Amino acid sequence: MSFLLTCPHCGPREVEEFRCAGEVTTRPTERPGLRELNEYVFFKNNVAGVHREWWYHRHGCGTWFLAERDTTTNRVVRTELPA
Amino acid sequence: MRLPPREHELIDRSKTVTFTFEGEPVRAFAGDTIGSALFAAGRRVFGRSFKYHRRRGLLCCSGQCPNCMMTVDGVPNVRVCVRPPREGTVVKAQNVVGSLDRDLMAVTDRIGGPFTPVGFYYKTFIRPRWAWPYYEKFLRNAAGLGKLDPHVTERRRVDHEHAHAEVLVVGGGQSGLEAALAHARAGRQVVLIDEGPEPGGHQLANRERIMTMRSLAAETAQAGVEILPFARAIGLYEGNLVPVDRGSTLVKFRAETVVAATGTLEQPLVFAGNDLPGVMLPAGARRLANYWSLRPGERAVVLTVDDRGVETARELEAAGVEIAEVVDYRERVPRSVVAKGRKQVRSLTVDGKRFDCDLVVMSGSPQPNYGLLAHARARVEFDPGRGIFVPVELPPGVEVAGEASGDVGSPAVPPPSHGEGEGKSIVCFCEDVTTKDFKDAVAEGFDSIQLAKRYTTATMGPCQGRLCHLNAVRVAARETRTDEGTIGTTTARPPTSPVSMGLLAGRPHEAAKRTSMHHRHKDMGATVFWTGSWRRPHSYSADPQAEVRAVHESLGVIDVSTLGKLLVKGPDAGAFLDRLYPNRFSDLKVGRIRYGVLTNDAGRIFDDGTVARLADDEFYVTTTSTGADGVFQWFEWWNAVWHMDVELANVTGAVAAVNVTGPNARKLMERVFDGDVGNEAFAYLDAKRGHVAGVPALILRIGFVGELGYELHFPSPHGEHVWDALFEHGAEWNATPFGLEPQRILRLEKTHILVGQDTDAESNPLEAAMPWIVKLDKDDFIGKWAIEHVQERGLRSLLVGFEVPSGRMPVEGAQVVVGGKSAGRVTSVRYSEQVGKVIGMAIVPIDLSGEGTTFEIRIGGELDQAVVRTQPFHDPEGAKLRS
Amino acid sequence: MRDIFFKKKMWRRHELKPRYDVVIIGGGAHGLATAYYLAKNHGITNVCVLEKSYIGAGGSGRNTTIIRSNYRTPEGAEFYRDSVKLYEHLAQDLDFNLMFSQHGHLTLAHSDRGMVVSAERAEVNQLLGIDSRVVGRDEVMEICPQIHLDGAFPVYGALYHPPGGVIRHDAVVWGYARGADRGGAEIHQGIEVTGIDVSNGRATGVQTSRGPVAAGTVIACTAGWSTQLAAMAGVKLPIWTTILQACVTEPVKPFLDVIIVSGQLHIYISQTDRGEFLMGSGVEPYPTFSFTSTFGFIEELSKHMLDLFPQLASTRILRQWTGLCDMTPDFSPVMGLTEVDGFVVDCGWGTYGFKATPIVGTTLAELVATGTTPRLIEPFKLERFYTDTLVSEAAAASVTH
Repeated sequence: MSFLLTCPHCGPREVEEFRCAGEVTTRPTERPGLRELNEYVFFKNNVAGVHREWWYHRHGCGTWFLAERDTTTNRVVRTELPA
Repeated sequence: MRLPPREHELIDRSKTVTFTFEGEPVRAFAGDTIGSALFAAGRRVFGRSFKYHRRRGLLCCSGQCPNCMMTVDGVPNVRVCVRPPREGTVVKAQNVVGSLDRDLMAVTDRIGGPFTPVGFYYKTFIRPRWAWPYYEKFLRNAAGLGKLDPHVTERRRVDHEHAHAEVLVVGGGQSGLEAALAHARAGRQVVLIDEGPEPGGHQLANRERIMTMRSLAAETAQAGVEILPFARAIGLYEGNLVPVDRGSTLVKFRAETVVAATGTLEQPLVFAGNDLPGVMLPAGARRLANYWSLRPGERAVVLTVDDRGVETARELEAAGVEIAEVVDYRERVPRSVVAKGRKQVRSLTVDGKRFDCDLVVMSGSPQPNYGLLAHARARVEFDPGRGIFVPVELPPGVEVAGEASGDVGSPAVPPPSHGEGEGKSIVCFCEDVTTKDFKDAVAEGFDSIQLAKRYTTATMGPCQGRLCHLNAVRVAARETRTDEGTIGTTTARPPTSPVSMGLLAGRPHEAAKRTSMHHRHKDMGATVFWTGSWRRPHSYSADPQAEVRAVHESLGVIDVSTLGKLLVKGPDAGAFLDRLYPNRFSDLKVGRIRYGVLTNDAGRIFDDGTVARLADDEFYVTTTSTGADGVFQWFEWWNAVWHMDVELANVTGAVAAVNVTGPNARKLMERVFDGDVGNEAFAYLDAKRGHVAGVPALILRIGFVGELGYELHFPSPHGEHVWDALFEHGAEWNATPFGLEPQRILRLEKTHILVGQDTDAESNPLEAAMPWIVKLDKDDFIGKWAIEHVQERGLRSLLVGFEVPSGRMPVEGAQVVVGGKSAGRVTSVRYSEQVGKVIGMAIVPIDLSGEGTTFEIRIGGELDQAVVRTQPFHDPEGAKLRS
Repeated sequence: MRDIFFKKKMWRRHELKPRYDVVIIGGGAHGLATAYYLAKNHGITNVCVLEKSYIGAGGSGRNTTIIRSNYRTPEGAEFYRDSVKLYEHLAQDLDFNLMFSQHGHLTLAHSDRGMVVSAERAEVNQLLGIDSRVVGRDEVMEICPQIHLDGAFPVYGALYHPPGGVIRHDAVVWGYARGADRGGAEIHQGIEVTGIDVSNGRATGVQTSRGPVAAGTVIACTAGWSTQLAAMAGVKLPIWTTILQACVTEPVKPFLDVIIVSGQLHIYISQTDRGEFLMGSGVEPYPTFSFTSTFGFIEELSKHMLDLFPQLASTRILRQWTGLCDMTPDFSPVMGLTEVDGFVVDCGWGTYGFKATPIVGTTLAELVATGTTPRLIEPFKLERFYTDTLVSEAAAASVTH
């Protein structure tokens, strides 16, 4: 058990109920060059502070949603369904 | 030894229990602890210290210090001052060679002063190199405290519960009760937890205050506060989580507000001989007298920096202890203090004046017990005015009440340390760290508290700094000629006090997943083994080859229920799959099946399976057994990103699957299936719905194992019924159940890959020799760009089949060797009766991947030759699959 | 031996100079070892190590001290093989007892797939002369009679690595610090680097909490904050940061000699010379820079540990702590030159940095001294992520987005 996360459907739950899929990245819309592709695939912003990330309510309603979380404190600023 | 019955004592003299200590019976009253009963029986030495094996007596009587740790009923390191005995409890001394009173290891105390200074081990036993293991063995045996029973396998039952409180008050002393009362009166739901049998805190050992505390507790309970006795907070974690130790239950509280009313920790004074038996903290002496009606000593000297010591002197006098002197540091700070004695303290000399005594009460500055607050990242600062560390900047949802906040009453004088040159002045009781050790550490450059702590090991023992952190900082500040604020504090880490792994673990592990036909496999003699989180049949006899033969020659049946099974439905279903798979599915005809691998945007393969089109807008997707959840989540994820018109369902658990395969598979299907199974009506890679043995089913005609085969998918609850029907009707062709091991041989004969075995984290479809499932003419799919780049740069390696002419068997994982170095590896290998050879698959450098190329692999530590085979070993044309 | 009785400063305090040939950011084991070998092997002594806290405050003082070389990739195994060799003689080299105890290391397999992965590692290792082999259940019991083989996840066998062992981690830090100091390097504690000066594609120095310092070469040896640090030089890294947790119990008499690891149960355990059990598990599955310990860690760890060692049910956990780990996509480190001349990175060490300390120090020192990348660390260069030539320690693919 550690911090709580608020599923947009189910409300606050133990973080163990969820799976984190890491920071939100943007998939290129056009075919990228090798360097750009690998930057998208492998490189991270790895923000120490508030960042946007994907979560999945694995042991719950099975919803993917976005969270804004401060990675230095694990305080969740907000969660929302993807637009 | 007992005083006559006293008001408010905790013992019930009408009830007794008998336990044994070192084999001798000891009688205790109800309400006694093992420690108090042993003290009543005349025992003064309760333990031997960690390093120097110095005699140690009762010090805190509150379960904080390391002095009274014994082995109780085989469990080491039990603090007997707070452990009640049961009838027949077996108590033994620990960390002694000989007995508590005569410990042969105590020799280390005499030689250990000048000869084992701090850092000793870092500077000795360096050469010769080979000798270290011998020294180490000696050191290991000398270290440690109690001894574990290696034969224990039974675990006591522990339950875990979840609970919620609007306000959780930790600590039932006066300030905790008052805080709980105030919150309850403000209309909030309040729970108060307290470690002891009843709330009241340290004032329970104060005869003048006890009745006031009891009425406050009653008032608090009446106001609706739920009071939990014998409840110890383990820590304060993120999200205001407070796990609470209640003996055989662990209660995990989430609270909107946590109030730390954890009081203070009494601190020892530092002087020569301060660890002799008979030198006690105020609460220790008071508990002996007031809880258990024991006279802590005949004649006492009290050293104090505040009112606690003065009050304690009064309480002790009431218990018949003669008070030789009260040395109040607020009046005059002594220049030297030395305690002397052998088995226990016999005298205390203060500034040259000697007092004969058998009890010394030392009351240093009470240190706020801020552990919980520090867990929650409250900042802790040194307050030079009061000479203590206080919590500041509390996180939201956390409050502090009473003395824990630093509100410790009368200003205390920061006491100096005394007695260097007169014997050991102990700073850290757990680790036997002296003032001299600190002096030496600082002289060597360990001049911050963190470095000094690590070098001396002070604060790292069982009490985790509760009794020594403040003194350690003071001594380090003095040695560095700075102040306590500069020296800083170490981080208080959870748990607040040691917590057993049995309590944390709760009930033993959950069982593995099993398919609906599991019991049939057991009945048929299957050897069951682990694959991922599933238990599956390895084979049904000692000879997996016999099962392989049955499949090749007649008829085999295997339970493949563990496969992941997903439904993809909606107008965009085809387009959705086209974007996820390198292969194309939008042009798949209804009733047809196509194989596909899944890649990520790095072009790496992470799963594979079949896709059957059930309707224009509906697909049935199978995945690997371990990949089911991951693939479903992957699909859901992209669906959340793309917002296409598809719905997804994971039916893995709801649907069972059985593969019926072999030359006689069609004959069996004719008997059990209610549709046409002729080769034209139901061709290879067709998917049909119907009934099997009366059960609605989806049949996929596929051939993972290389023979004519039908994969039957049907609702799980009918698993045993269908299984039984297949064997009943298949008896004519000697239907044989086969397990995973024969399946692996069969699929290897076809060089069908197993994702995760024949591929790894770096495999892409081109280098996994599956260019035919990659449709680069599609606009886009996940992984397309990376695969295109692989194609442009050219392949570096290739997954190929191979045979070993020598007939020797490499292990899976054996290395392909070029020029003495690893250049690839064997991913799969088996002996195939059908082929009559050792066959396998391997990842080899691209220049060694041509048909018939010989390459070297390591077998049993020697190099042997393997030959590349790019065609399947069995039925290379696939005629049997299509027959 | 003299030092036992005649106390001498192990490292001195200095005034910060305006310029050094080499500025090493991070006073952990890696940074200090690099400073030590720069002087010892290459005579480069105008070197300073800048540590924002105290030496060894980060991963060096928080890890669980396991030293081994039984890696999966030939690149990783060879690199760590040489690291273990250096560790074996390091106490004599530094004249400081590091208490390196090679009691052996067992990686348990709980499935036949696990056995295959073990076999693959053993094959890779043996080809490189590393003592590493697969053992069956009986031999597991011989090596570790205390283990309970038939818990909820039965033990099938193990990868056995006899040279694996534990060491006193703080001693490694202090030994290198003393050696670096004696070699002429300056160790500065309590100085934080706040910027890296880059002009014309070349790192020229650093900005610190005590002012600017010019440098010929800047080496970043910080775990946890390497993304932020590299960004100061305009270099992007393929790293996400999370915490790894560990805990220690009260000391008991010797019970367990070997190190036991179970990848499937996500746990490992050793018993220190002091008698404590030192235990850990896997990294948290979300990015975080928060050092806060979690209760879930000691809860899950205990559940799994008692599966293997029910005898520990009454053993008490004394304290738990966390450390930051920089994870890379292929679970191998990132070492060496970057696009910015004179800016060298040593990062992405995940959960395996401490065991590489001596080889990191020697190879980085060689890189700085000669300007060419030593063969041993060539595979770990940052450039590999742009060219997609990864060194994957993971056995199977994980899903990325």
